Amino acid sequence: MPAEFIRILIGLVAVAISVGLIGLVMVWVERKVAGHIQRRPGPYEVGPSGLLQPLADALKLVGKQLFMPDKADPILFWLAPVLSFLPVLLLFLPLPLGDGLYALDVNLGLLLILAFSGLAVLSLLLGGWASNNKYGLLGAARAVAQSVAYEIPLLLSVLAVSFVAGSLNLAEVVKGQGTWPWNWNIMTQPLAFLIYMVSALGETNRAPFDLPEAESELTAGFHTEYSGMGFGLFFLAEYANMVVVCAVATALFLGGWNGPVLPGPVWFVLKVSLLMLLMVFFRWTYPRVRFDQLLNINWKWLMPLAVLNLLATSFFVKLAQFTEVRW
Amino acid sequence: MEEMAKVAFGLYALIILGGSLLAVGAKSLVRAMVGLIATLLGVAGMYMLLNSVFMALMQILIYVGAVCVLIFFAIMLTKADPEGEEAESSPLYQNVLALLAVLVTGGVLSWLVLTRPLATTGVPVEVTIEKLGLGLLGPYGLAFELISVVLLISMAGAVLLAWERRNGK
Repeated sequence: MPAEFIRILIGLVAVAISVGLIGLVMVWVERKVAGHIQRRPGPYEVGPSGLLQPLADALKLVGKQLFMPDKADPILFWLAPVLSFLPVLLLFLPLPLGDGLYALDVNLGLLLILAFSGLAVLSLLLGGWASNNKYGLLGAARAVAQSVAYEIPLLLSVLAVSFVAGSLNLAEVVKGQGTWPWNWNIMTQPLAFLIYMVSALGETNRAPFDLPEAESELTAGFHTEYSGMGFGLFFLAEYANMVVVCAVATALFLGGWNGPVLPGPVWFVLKVSLLMLLMVFFRWTYPRVRFDQLLNINWKWLMPLAVLNLLATSFFVKLAQFTEVRW
Repeated sequence: MEEMAKVAFGLYALIILGGSLLAVGAKSLVRAMVGLIATLLGVAGMYMLLNSVFMALMQILIYVGAVCVLIFFAIMLTKADPEGEEAESSPLYQNVLALLAVLVTGGVLSWLVLTRPLATTGVPVEVTIEKLGLGLLGPYGLAFELISVVLLISMAGAVLLAWERRNGK
């Protein structure tokens, strides 16, 4: 029993450190990509190619004074950023980096991630509401409509994969896939992968679906009033959620740690980084959708497609079982 | 191990109690909702203590992640500010009646629990989701279907209400 606890403890420490590091690296990547796409250099003064710029920014954020607007709800206002960051640490625990390389061996790992990622929305709308600011409230309202809508196709597409794999344990799902790309679940479930990635963008509030924080319409949406590390925690949580979403996509669709030549964890990190880079490219190449378009994409396209995909998948899974028994 | 379970039970019970008090007593509706969330999380912890991880995660996924978010949506549509007339404290006799209702229910329940001890107090066994799914579609199929009928009726009721209002306008 203590061994289990120690494993979780080590996992938590590793996750906390890596979330901080990933945050720093991702800020740099994002600004560099944005710069080059917009034909400017991006950060380049601090450190080689501006690599230390995020560190300087982080130190500045930590040193800033924490403000709270007049007539804001003090408890909820400070609860929101903490509530956005805490569940993230839990989300990383069941992710399998390699064969046997995970902090928490739980049968329902996928369900655990899906359940606790729902808390992020709550923190976001509590923050938006408690700031006593109309931009914050509008951002919160958008976040509610968006995340409730996009959670459904996300769950349905994940469910299709777990039907095929017959398990909700991420490590089991990875073990069901082979070494080469044509053995991965993306070959049998391409539609589910597409639906998953689009709804994941919606769930993590990334452009083109970043309506809750749309800076050109709502200044900064739900975190308009947050200064210093209050904002910093929201920001870190967003990047951490991106990592979790990409890691789940890697495990479910892209074969997880499976891959030729290189050791497993390297493959896993490579695939996750590739998906993250893809998300960054999306952000700087596509314009933000309008709110009615956002909801139309979800309710008129993603939802029916996900349901159809699930029905077809369950039909074929049953068919395969049936023929197996007859054989 | 048993002490730890008892400590965890006490902790979850405190969370549930504190959350429900906040949910009932808070002046601002959003704070009341936060109390409700704390209560639901405490209940999820209780499920965890009963060794049914699936139920606990479903509790968080559905009640905390979806239902509470929808409640928040409803709160934002009503725009109930803490200084509004609904936020005024209710008259004394209503408070007394509420206390009486709590005491009577709690009294009857605790009397039942204390005078009729449970026959089984073994360590709870984990039920796998395969078993759960087969049970829901097999021996408990009728109850499962009836629950979905209840949901269908409530959905139809909501549509009907919205329909009438739209025609009336």
